[in-house]
Amino acid sequence: MLNLYRICYKKVGPMRYISHLDLLRTMERGSRRARLPLAFTQGFNPHPRISFAAPLPVGVQGEDEYMDLELESPMQAPVLVERLNTCLPYGLEILEAREVKGAAPSLMGMVEQATYAAVTIRPADINEKSLISSIKAFMEQQEVIIDKKTKKGTKAKDIRPGIVKLSGDSKEDRLFIYMTLKTGSRENVRPEEVLRALVKGYLPLNVEEFRITRTGLYAAGERTLFAEF
Amino acid sequence: MEQLLERILATVEKPSRYVGGEWNSISKKWDQAEVKMAFAFPDVYEVGMSHLGMQILYKVVNDRPDALMERVFAPWVDMEEKMRAAGLPLFSLESRRPLAEFDVVGFTLQYEMSFTNILNMLDMAGIPMRSSDRKGDNPLVIAGGPCGFNPEPLAPFIDAFVLGEGEEVINAVLDVYLAQKQQQCSRRDTLSALAGVEGIYVPAFYQFEYKQDGTVKEFKSDSHVPPVVKKRVVVDVNDVPFPTRPIVPHTDVVHDRMMLEVMRGCTRGCRFCQAGTIYRPVREKDPENLLAQAEELVRSTGWDEISLTSLSSSDYSGISEVIGGLVDRYSSERINVALPSLRADAFSVELAKEVQRVRRSSLTFAPEAGTQRLRDVINKGVTEENLMEAVTSAFKAGWSSVKLYFMIGLPSETEADLEGIVSLARRVLEAGRNISRSKGRLRVTVSASSFVPKSHTPFQWEPQDSLIELQEKQRFLKQRIKGKGLTFNWHEGQVSMLEADLARGNRDLAPVLERAWALGCRFDGWSECFDFSKWEKAFECFGIKPGDYALRRYSHEDVLPWDHLDAGVSKKYLTLEHKRALDGVPTVDCRGGKCPGCGICPSLEINTQLVGGKSVEPVQDLL
Repeated sequence: MLNLYRICYKKVGPMRYISHLDLLRTMERGSRRARLPLAFTQGFNPHPRISFAAPLPVGVQGEDEYMDLELESPMQAPVLVERLNTCLPYGLEILEAREVKGAAPSLMGMVEQATYAAVTIRPADINEKSLISSIKAFMEQQEVIIDKKTKKGTKAKDIRPGIVKLSGDSKEDRLFIYMTLKTGSRENVRPEEVLRALVKGYLPLNVEEFRITRTGLYAAGERTLFAEF
Repeated sequence: MEQLLERILATVEKPSRYVGGEWNSISKKWDQAEVKMAFAFPDVYEVGMSHLGMQILYKVVNDRPDALMERVFAPWVDMEEKMRAAGLPLFSLESRRPLAEFDVVGFTLQYEMSFTNILNMLDMAGIPMRSSDRKGDNPLVIAGGPCGFNPEPLAPFIDAFVLGEGEEVINAVLDVYLAQKQQQCSRRDTLSALAGVEGIYVPAFYQFEYKQDGTVKEFKSDSHVPPVVKKRVVVDVNDVPFPTRPIVPHTDVVHDRMMLEVMRGCTRGCRFCQAGTIYRPVREKDPENLLAQAEELVRSTGWDEISLTSLSSSDYSGISEVIGGLVDRYSSERINVALPSLRADAFSVELAKEVQRVRRSSLTFAPEAGTQRLRDVINKGVTEENLMEAVTSAFKAGWSSVKLYFMIGLPSETEADLEGIVSLARRVLEAGRNISRSKGRLRVTVSASSFVPKSHTPFQWEPQDSLIELQEKQRFLKQRIKGKGLTFNWHEGQVSMLEADLARGNRDLAPVLERAWALGCRFDGWSECFDFSKWEKAFECFGIKPGDYALRRYSHEDVLPWDHLDAGVSKKYLTLEHKRALDGVPTVDCRGGKCPGCGICPSLEINTQLVGGKSVEPVQDLL
């Protein structure tokens, strides 16, 4: 009997600076503090059975993140949420847990795309109209080639097919850019890759000054990751 | 500041080093604390967060309703560059306040090669580097830790040093500070009051004149301070605050596990070892107390490993009981027990077998020297037989990798001793070939560090080998310890030499440190940052060169630069131990019940404390 739970959580505030590996450690330790009956892998070096949908880049916060957690004995989903939340550091919060019944596809295999919002201070020389037209011009490109750092130097990569949607607006002194990007093992575009390409020749802004939030993670057909069960 | 910091954090390596917010970290209300102290670790976050002493003091100070303690670590070079460019001062992790806004800043002195980081952190905080330049509203800068027993190279930069164990004396320091603050006393009056606390050394009240050879020609202390400062120790280790709710880092730190300290001190008496002197006497905690503390640690942290820490955990009298208790209670939760310091004998391997179901890591032993003669000189109570039994038992139990730690450059070392290291390594490998079931993975790693003479040890008078000698010895070993299954590691000789200079130096080295910092020296313990040429230049500016202090032989009659700092073990005893060393005569461990007369117990009016209320009757004076 598999006691598998799919958990939606957010990783914000100071927690956006911890790496994916740190997150795994922190979730495991939080689960231990909460005295959840964690299920472990077999073998010489047992690990708790926790898996994530898609790693979040360091510095990017996530408001709609997912992980699967397996327990040795069943637990009411709301109890799990409550217990875990009292044992997680500020910036990590469980929003919802659902028991996975039957064979659900792995989170990693389900994820197809993600939505992001990036915000920065709007410079005086950019208004909503110029922003929109810049984005439009950017999206009219057939290809967007970026230099992607790999273990052996850099490699050219076309990110245009991975950009599903791109839009922007401005509220008061803030400028927002919204992205829907291919995410996952088949095709993956990172938000700062898009921003980096966008500021080069289209929007004179500093990428470092954007605060980026992943606002949603979706399976194919824009279904939520809770969809299969 | 927040926005500026956010922007910087987006561009530096490992930003989690600088954001805090870890589980069990404590953010007290700033305005409600009458005294605010920052604990400053002069190395990166991952190193500092592995330090038990910090967790202890963090608990002690934050347990006080009138005080708060926050943490600060040395920003890595990329962060320093960005902070300086942005004009951002060094800040604490908890409240992100500039360090200069704290009342007290306490540095820990764990190793000499972190000294330039202390200067750099003061500079980044905008706190005047020299004690004499600090004014009323500047923080009080204190420091303690092992290097506090010869802190002279840092004397002009630190207002007060703490000698010995900090968990009690820190309260005295804060009390004095608060009383002085209420009475609106001057900085100098505060320092005077601090100098009256046992275990506190205020260097400004002590004046030195040195001879050409670095020893003390004349030494004066102001009339209101003790001419000799004695270290502080905790009398009852069972009745002292222990951090059972330590901060749990998010990021992978060097020691990422629960630390359960089983005892203080070590009575083995290895003659090169400073910790063996400065943490005397041995005080063991009760097994019951340890198991209770372990339970709190497990529940409050969520870590999956408990490390039984001390200078020599297999010597702890209750070790089997504690390990048994921990394994019984926690193995079903997949919580491991780790033994970081193993004695080289079969008993220790038995312990390791019990705790390490999976032989994934290697076992490490420290014979320290290659021949019995030299092991007798250093009083390392380990024989070749002990070691062979240990490794045989380890290979039989399934370990395929063994690490052996040696020291080169020990007093009286000859080529025969180096040959001894080589043949020992080969014998161990041979044993592995005969026994081990996984011959393909068989590995014997030999690490040779260079002997650094330290204050308050029987070898404090001994010179270090010259750089050329050390490098030749390294070459000798490198040529011989090679081939399938053998690995040889060694430490950079230049670093060891500077370490010895600072460990045995006097106040004349302070301007050298300052110059080295100004030339850009930082993180000197990190090979990617260490730049010997800058140090050479810094020494040169003052007409000396690296090695001048390291290579000196002091005589028993000399007044040494640290003789006014008393670790409780008498100089007479150290002298006797030095002579015995050169005669190759070993000294007994007082655990056996016979007191060798080191003087610690009568001097500090304390007793060795062993499990079950056992103690050792001290002889008043053997000499």
